Amino acid sequence: MTAARARVRSALATLVLAVPCTLLLYGFLAAESEGKVALVLAGATLAAALGWRTGLLGWAVRASGQGGLALGFALSGLALVAAFHEDPFVLLLLARALIALVACLGLHVQLADAGVPNFAGAAFFGVGGYTAAVLGKGALPHAVVLLACGALAAAVGSVLLLPLLRTRGHYAALITIAFGLLFRTFFEVNESLGGPQGLKLGGLEVLGFHFNDDRHVLGLEWSGYAFYALAALALALAALSLVRRLERSWLGLALDAVRLDETAAACFGVEVARWKIGAFTLGNALIGVAGGLSAMMVGFIAPNNFTFQESLVLVSILLLGGLGNLAGLAVATLIVVCLPEKLQPIQEYRYLLFSVLVVLVLVLRPAGLVRRTARRSFGSAAA
Amino acid sequence: MTPAPLLVCADLTRSFGGLVALDGLSVELKQGEILGLIGPNGSGKTTFFNVLTGLYPATRGEVRFGGLTLTGARPQAVYRAGITRTFQRSRLCLELSIFDNLAVGAHQQLDHGLYFNLLRRRALARQADATATAARELLEIFDPPLAARLFEPVAGIAMIGRRRVEICRALISRPKLLLLDEPSAGMTADETAHLMDDLLEVRRRFGDLSIILIEHEMSVIARVTDRCVVLNYGKKLCEGTYAEVSTNTEVRQAYLGLA
Amino acid sequence: MDLLAQYLMNGVMLGLMYALVALGFTLFFGVLNVIQFAHGDVLTAGAFAGLAGYALVVRAGVQASLPQLLTVVLAATLSMAVLGAVLGRTLVLPLKGAPALNVLLATLMGGTALRECIRLFYPGGSQPQRFPALLPSTAWALGRFTLRLDNLLMLAAGMALVLGVSLLLQRTRTGLAIRAVAQDEETARTMGIDFRRVVLFTFALGSALAAFAGVMNGLYYNEVNFGSGLLLGVIGFSAAVVGGLGSLSGAVLGGFLFAGLQTLGAVVMPFASAYKDVFAFGMVILLLAWKPTGLIGEPLGERV
Repeated sequence: MTAARARVRSALATLVLAVPCTLLLYGFLAAESEGKVALVLAGATLAAALGWRTGLLGWAVRASGQGGLALGFALSGLALVAAFHEDPFVLLLLARALIALVACLGLHVQLADAGVPNFAGAAFFGVGGYTAAVLGKGALPHAVVLLACGALAAAVGSVLLLPLLRTRGHYAALITIAFGLLFRTFFEVNESLGGPQGLKLGGLEVLGFHFNDDRHVLGLEWSGYAFYALAALALALAALSLVRRLERSWLGLALDAVRLDETAAACFGVEVARWKIGAFTLGNALIGVAGGLSAMMVGFIAPNNFTFQESLVLVSILLLGGLGNLAGLAVATLIVVCLPEKLQPIQEYRYLLFSVLVVLVLVLRPAGLVRRTARRSFGSAAA
Repeated sequence: MTPAPLLVCADLTRSFGGLVALDGLSVELKQGEILGLIGPNGSGKTTFFNVLTGLYPATRGEVRFGGLTLTGARPQAVYRAGITRTFQRSRLCLELSIFDNLAVGAHQQLDHGLYFNLLRRRALARQADATATAARELLEIFDPPLAARLFEPVAGIAMIGRRRVEICRALISRPKLLLLDEPSAGMTADETAHLMDDLLEVRRRFGDLSIILIEHEMSVIARVTDRCVVLNYGKKLCEGTYAEVSTNTEVRQAYLGLA
Repeated sequence: MDLLAQYLMNGVMLGLMYALVALGFTLFFGVLNVIQFAHGDVLTAGAFAGLAGYALVVRAGVQASLPQLLTVVLAATLSMAVLGAVLGRTLVLPLKGAPALNVLLATLMGGTALRECIRLFYPGGSQPQRFPALLPSTAWALGRFTLRLDNLLMLAAGMALVLGVSLLLQRTRTGLAIRAVAQDEETARTMGIDFRRVVLFTFALGSALAAFAGVMNGLYYNEVNFGSGLLLGVIGFSAAVVGGLGSLSGAVLGGFLFAGLQTLGAVVMPFASAYKDVFAFGMVILLLAWKPTGLIGEPLGERV
């Protein structure tokens, strides 16, 4: 009886959350003029403020629970893909945002959970892309290639493990910065992987299904990008679930202990180095898979795709979304990836505006936009 | 015939550059004993804890604990051998809940397998429940109101409560030896008395818990310790029951500045 | 032999530029325990400010190269001193006590903003800009090695500047205040030292040094680029780390060491000259892996 009621309540909360979000996103993505985009943004701000003030937002997030949130996310994504089934521009944008979310989740495990800085996110994204470009031409099934993208990014990252474990704070950050710059320069001067022009890729193909082709399904004309958007949605959901489960388990707790006080953690048996290695490796693997899928979708990869600037953007998304807050991370990724594309006049100025925004957040709200909340129990009472 | 001591430290030395913070200290501890460690500030008490728990490698000397040699052991190995500690300045993870902090203390009892944590969510929930029960039991002894606030962040808890949580974190793994670094700092005499009662209560329940206690409050030392070691400039000045130590002229000279 | 001399000259010039940048990093770290990562972009901005100053005096009809040179140097250093103090005031001081990573990210983003401003708003800023040759072009041929007067002059000026900073810190009241703050902020405050003023002065000083390095860089390569500061910043920071952050002599040593390694790489592997930046960054990573807190280690007595 109560279980059934709880389920209804959760479903209701999910609807309360997902329907307005989906509608706003639809409006945002469909808007064709800057004025309309601004209008939708104003609407979103208003809705968020209202939800916040009335407590409806908090209630809906709590009541829908983990399963509900994931379901809402999935349904909302599916609805948007279906709504824009013929619009390659919007679908590409959507897929890019979802792929960026996967990469940010990888960074989140590293930075927000284990406290290992990574200012070379774009470089690991690039490793995934180049892996896809090189292996994708061969006979390997593309699902395996995507896994290899993650594995290779993790393997390349392991080169940095020793220096990262021996250093802390600024010094550790510098190592990743140096690596990011090194990596890009290397691919620019090394002609064997296309040099500055980069490499071309064929599209993703799984079990004979070519993602690049437009096709007729369910009585509708679907752009090829719709399938990429769906693949990205599936990947993002998997990554979200993985990171979420990780954080709400003893694993996440051990990472927290490592991040917050290495010395105390060591005194209670936490193998600090082992956990840092695990987090850094898992994070890079996620970033690498994202990079592989992205390269296959876009069809080419070049050193210009993974500049230091892009690495900074990834870290900043993390900060803006609020460290330790996956929902916030998803929203921040969406805004940062999509907004400049929709507001063409700011496109050229996006790094400038973005950097100023991040500086303002850091100076005015040092704890991040959203304060980190303590983990609630993952015992049976909370399930 | 006396049983073999639980802890034997022989000629333990640690120097930082030219400064010898711990100078040839030899200490033995019997099972179930409460040893007081006293001495002026900078006399090497905390350094001793840090060397013992593997945070600083010893420059010279050795440590044996139970049947194990812990000389040069890493902090993790020291913990697994059954030695836990509190810190002079509270080192809880402030943004984590009380439960999380205690669960860090219970690290070795918890299953950290990938499969278990990511996929066997029900079994994980059961383990979390069991850990929560153990945490509540301990908190009930030291600070019953905190047991009801198990999932609140430590940052929102008063200093006194934090000290008690830190002691619970050190106890939840059922160590054989507990190292307490000035647990009463910042507490009133009353609160300190309570804390000591609670410690004795825990020791009664756990059976064979041994404790080394760094403490400046002499009334506490007098009441709870079986034996005291007095340190000065990293060296052992003297050793004995509180009554013996407190009448020692050298101690009075070093510690109290009395002639 | 001649070629070696050429390499040596080049190495010394690079070393001096790195040392000037590293000095800034080490000064900032000394007084505030922060890494100001916009420093490399301050260098670029300095070079562009010098360039702007040059354009102004040329338009005003000044033909002689000495006043032109003075204008360039003054425009660069003074404007960057102001900018450095402003950055310290708005980006770094408000974040005092925040996690180290926040300061790092804030200054990295501040640097990005600066870089983007140059790219977007300086006329033609997105393209490399020609930097005027303002120094006498006299050169002596010694076999195959040409000793250039302009290089010698830059070297002398840079060395004098390093020496001057060291004298300032050791011999003046301001220097004493900086050293006091570096030793122990609390005590320095109680001794009546105006902490904010010392910090802002240090930021101004360090940034002016970077601006000078930027002008040197422009004069040496006859070109400046909006993105070049990033590389110099990372190398300068690495040099400061290698020498031990907070140590003045360490920074200078680190700068020359780094340039030495780069030059060595070029001598040993001339075929791989395209990889010289890859080599530089690889060295940074290796050095930190080998000596995580720098070659000289944690400076205790010698901090600034």
